[in-house]
Amino acid sequence: MQDPKRTSRSRDHGRSNRSLFRRTIALMLALGIGLFIPLVGQLYKLQIVEHAQWEEKAAIQQTKSISVNANRGAIYDREGRTMAMSATVYKLILSPLDLYNSVEKENYKDKEGKLDPDAYKQALYDRRKLIVDWLVETFDYDEDWLWKQMEKIDNGWIELETEMEEEDAEKVRTFTSKNRITGLLYPTPSSKRYYPFSSVGSHVLGYLSQNENSGDRKVGAQGIEAVYEDVLSGELGRVVTSKNGANMEMISGYEMIFDAEDGCDVTLTLDERIQAMLEQTLEEGIETYDVQNGAFGLVINPKTGAVLAMASSPDFDPNNYSKILNEDLQQDLAEVAAEKGEDSEEYGDAWKAAWDKQMRNRALADAYEPGSVFKPITVAMALEEGTVSMNDHFYCGGSMSAGPGLKPTHCHKKSGHLDQTLTQAVENSCNVALMKIGLGLGADTMWKYFEDFGLFDSTGIDLAGEGTQQFWKEETFKGPTGVQSIASASFGQTFAVTPLQMIMAFASVINGGHLLQPYVVQSIADGDGNTVFYHETTEVRQVISEDTSDKVRGILESVVANGSGHNASQNGYRIGGKTGTSENIAIKNIDPNNDDVMCSFMGFAPADDPELLALVVYDTPKRSAPGSNVTAAGTYISGGNIAAPMAGQLIAGILDYMGIERQYSDGELAGPDTPMPKVTGQELTVAKGNLQKAGFECRTVGTGSIVQGQVPAAGASIPGGSTVVLYLGEDAPTEQVAVPSLVGLTPTQTKNKLEELGLFMRATGVVDYNDPDVVWASQSIDEGAMVALGTVVEVRFVSSINYGDDQRQ
Amino acid sequence: MARKAKRDLTIEQKLARGPIDLPFLALVMLLTGVGLITLLSASFPSAMYNLSPNVTDTGGDPLYYFIRQARFAALGVVAMFIISRIDYQQFRWMSVFVLGASIVLMLLVLTPLGRSGGGVTRWIKLGPIRFQPSEIAKVGIILYFAAGLSKRNSQLGPPLEKKWNRRTLLGRTCERLDRIGFLELLPYGAALVAVLGVIALQKHMSAMVLVVMGAGAVLFAAGIRLGWFAAGGALVGAALWFIITQTDYMKARIDIWHDPSVDPLGNGYQPLQGRIAIGSGGLLGVGLGNSRQKYMFLPEEHNDYIFSIWCEEMGLVGAVVLMALFALLIIRGFWLALHARDRFGTLLIVGIMSLFAFQVFFNIGVVTGFLPPTGISLPFFSYGGTALMITLGEMGIVLSVSRQIAAPKAE
Repeated sequence: MQDPKRTSRSRDHGRSNRSLFRRTIALMLALGIGLFIPLVGQLYKLQIVEHAQWEEKAAIQQTKSISVNANRGAIYDREGRTMAMSATVYKLILSPLDLYNSVEKENYKDKEGKLDPDAYKQALYDRRKLIVDWLVETFDYDEDWLWKQMEKIDNGWIELETEMEEEDAEKVRTFTSKNRITGLLYPTPSSKRYYPFSSVGSHVLGYLSQNENSGDRKVGAQGIEAVYEDVLSGELGRVVTSKNGANMEMISGYEMIFDAEDGCDVTLTLDERIQAMLEQTLEEGIETYDVQNGAFGLVINPKTGAVLAMASSPDFDPNNYSKILNEDLQQDLAEVAAEKGEDSEEYGDAWKAAWDKQMRNRALADAYEPGSVFKPITVAMALEEGTVSMNDHFYCGGSMSAGPGLKPTHCHKKSGHLDQTLTQAVENSCNVALMKIGLGLGADTMWKYFEDFGLFDSTGIDLAGEGTQQFWKEETFKGPTGVQSIASASFGQTFAVTPLQMIMAFASVINGGHLLQPYVVQSIADGDGNTVFYHETTEVRQVISEDTSDKVRGILESVVANGSGHNASQNGYRIGGKTGTSENIAIKNIDPNNDDVMCSFMGFAPADDPELLALVVYDTPKRSAPGSNVTAAGTYISGGNIAAPMAGQLIAGILDYMGIERQYSDGELAGPDTPMPKVTGQELTVAKGNLQKAGFECRTVGTGSIVQGQVPAAGASIPGGSTVVLYLGEDAPTEQVAVPSLVGLTPTQTKNKLEELGLFMRATGVVDYNDPDVVWASQSIDEGAMVALGTVVEVRFVSSINYGDDQRQ
Repeated sequence: MARKAKRDLTIEQKLARGPIDLPFLALVMLLTGVGLITLLSASFPSAMYNLSPNVTDTGGDPLYYFIRQARFAALGVVAMFIISRIDYQQFRWMSVFVLGASIVLMLLVLTPLGRSGGGVTRWIKLGPIRFQPSEIAKVGIILYFAAGLSKRNSQLGPPLEKKWNRRTLLGRTCERLDRIGFLELLPYGAALVAVLGVIALQKHMSAMVLVVMGAGAVLFAAGIRLGWFAAGGALVGAALWFIITQTDYMKARIDIWHDPSVDPLGNGYQPLQGRIAIGSGGLLGVGLGNSRQKYMFLPEEHNDYIFSIWCEEMGLVGAVVLMALFALLIIRGFWLALHARDRFGTLLIVGIMSLFAFQVFFNIGVVTGFLPPTGISLPFFSYGGTALMITLGEMGIVLSVSRQIAAPKAE
């Protein structure tokens, strides 16, 4: 490179410098201007063309919409008792991040600005320990767990508690303000739903839980809480504030407030007392008769369609819905847990099955075969159509086949009911008679009435989850092979309706023929107490005439007074009803050996002007042995022997609660409770007159003419018609007496036996002094207990006759 | 030679004491100042909230990043003046050592002396200072190229008949290679490949690109045949095409580049947040200090993505003004290169300013989504003390060259 000649070198040099110059200028233009052009273009696109789009994205992420809880409305029963209410509780928040930052390193530096690490660490440890120790001491937290939370210094929001009561929240506030750590551990308001009556009405009320769409909020998950979610929850308020990327509110951001609107209060037609009585009746029956598959029941006002009670057992506690409440289910689970372990798949499945069971509102959701309870509806059809009259007679020879070549259907009484009037046929629950009535109606008429009685439609109740009926195909029923179906339909078998459909159809039969729409919400009031909705009775259609209805009511009263429903009769009340003992054909078709049976009773009172209609169904009381017809305690398994006495008690209880007076007929000796007048000191004749006026009989002990003592004491309330004891010439004894054994005694025998001892009887259940089959069933004070003279012993009587319902074919 | 040298020395000494270019200095100081203010605005939320004390514990001091950066800026300005007073001819001999030292330091990164950050190991800690040796390598390669290529005084080269033995195949091949200018490129190529190789060990793609760009600019200005650039460009282009289309990793990154919202909470989060910041700024911006995206939405908001905070606060107007300042600095730098006293001065400035321009271009390109995401900081703005010092040092070299520009003749 050193060689070239001078001339060439300088020429080259010049050329080279010109090239350098040109290329440098080119670079200058390319790098100083050229590179920036696409960048400006890109910025123009982002900041001008797409500005709105990016600004919106920024606004969405930079603002935070905090929902302001609207107070959820309360749920009341028809008497204004609070069934569900919301109250403020607190979440307890711990912020390890703020705690970490609250210990400032600046304070642990020496003059040269060097950090004293030990002093700093100690200070941080002390502050954490202060909180940990207090939490462990006050709320019994796990200390190690708390220390682990403290280490999460990137986390500013750890929820230690989600439902803390005000009392505890106040403790936290006192502690933190005293130690000046209010931002590190603090309660923040939240809300909690309370159900003061726990499991009473749980299936109707429902419960609150979070779901995938509700986020942090709990929403209604079943029952009224779910159906009326929007009404109850009100309008959430919002506070829109600016926030930073760590989701923390900005100190000086803008703020917009949208007010919350409180939810409405819902008043139900349900009555907590009646609901509790129904649930109690179900539980008692399940226990008494060792019922295997639970029970369900309904109580309605047949005049309006208002549901007074709706229950299914097992049930749950909406305050703690994830707990298995029923003891039998708990026991089953415990067995699985003991065998397979609580972590096993089997346990998980068993738990889920148990939970599903307790959450299921069978009175609403599950179709069942009504069995003989359906018979009054068939009778109503025939009376309305005029195919039978009250004077018709029906002969039952023990069995009958629906048509030529068909297998005969048996009556439960193999020897046959022989000649019966229409009323007697229903009293006997005679299948043969009902088949005759059904076949007399024909498929077309029957099908039309199924439809008219609302059995093909949902009832339209204001609850979600109504089940679906199961019927034959119309062509099959009306076709040439439909005869057998007509025959079995006439006594309520081989089709299924929901309990609610059944009770509404039954209601129309006894209320003058009006098919009504059932409902559970009576009224809704907004946050200011203004009524915004009131449910008026809604009639779907008139199905039968008032006249027909009146006739069927008479027949059904007779069923309870003289027939298979006798066990439902109650002293002083006129009750009508029908028993039912039904198989589950659907199950039986799969498993022919299955002998599950549903024992039911549908009853109403007062019989002449029904105020209430109740349905009680027990699913499969345990047989004493396979194939046996009785329970282990010897009770005949049928609606008449199992469901009727329970339903009778329930109806009497409700009537008492509703304040409907008992009216005693001649056959019923025991009158209403009456206060005992003061006769001590009076002449015997005067005393006797006074007692007679008060409605008491008397016997005397000792001799003399002046009453010196009396049992019971003046003012004590005992059943009218009781025989009181007057002591002449001696004081009334003060020693106690033992309650005697009353097993097997009739009401009259029982009354006499108790009164001999100076005790009194208040009879409940079937109190028929003329019927020798009515005997003791239970007594309120155990045998052998020592009681004072004059004590009233409540004795329940049932009929000991085995009432069949002819479900067996 | 000695006589000549003596006379030259005095002139050079005189020249080296000449006035520095004030417009260039003013632009550097202005950018440093604006850069510091922007850093303060961008960094105080994350410093104040101290949300990840596990990574950088600021102790909740909002000025934490600003104070550290300002300290380095002051040191850097002092260093810039010191360097500007060095006679830039001294850089000729220094260049080899700077390059050598940077390679050694880069190798040391791979030893336990290396320091990691963000999942990669690119830093080294010497005493109190922690820096990326690749930053020095960038300057080193430019110094080395400028020093060597300034001695090249013809574009085509002289006749070379006597140099090669034409009787051997080797000789003929060499002659042909020499004629097309290949042999001349060999030492530079070797140095470039060595530096790139060492940087590749750190998996530092963006640094490699910048080194190639800086070195390429020097080669281009020095008059290397354009054919070589075409060939080199084709090679790099092919390699990039292969990497981009044939590897899943790059393909995913390219997809995210086109539309970050396909993965808004993963790899697309940062580009998306950056674009939200820029886009929401609009024409005039939300006002200095009023950025909302810096409140823990945009990661690296005081680092690689600081330009988006500037755009959000100052809008398109502010962004264009800032880019104009960068452009002016680049143009003024090239103006100085055109007026430099000798080829070495020209090439030195061309290299440094090209490197600078590309770094600005890549950073803004990535932040605005014009280029696929890669980590390149914005000179004068991004947080990083030693990087700022090295940038100011480079400006010192340009100023040093500017001292020896002959004053325009008085009319």
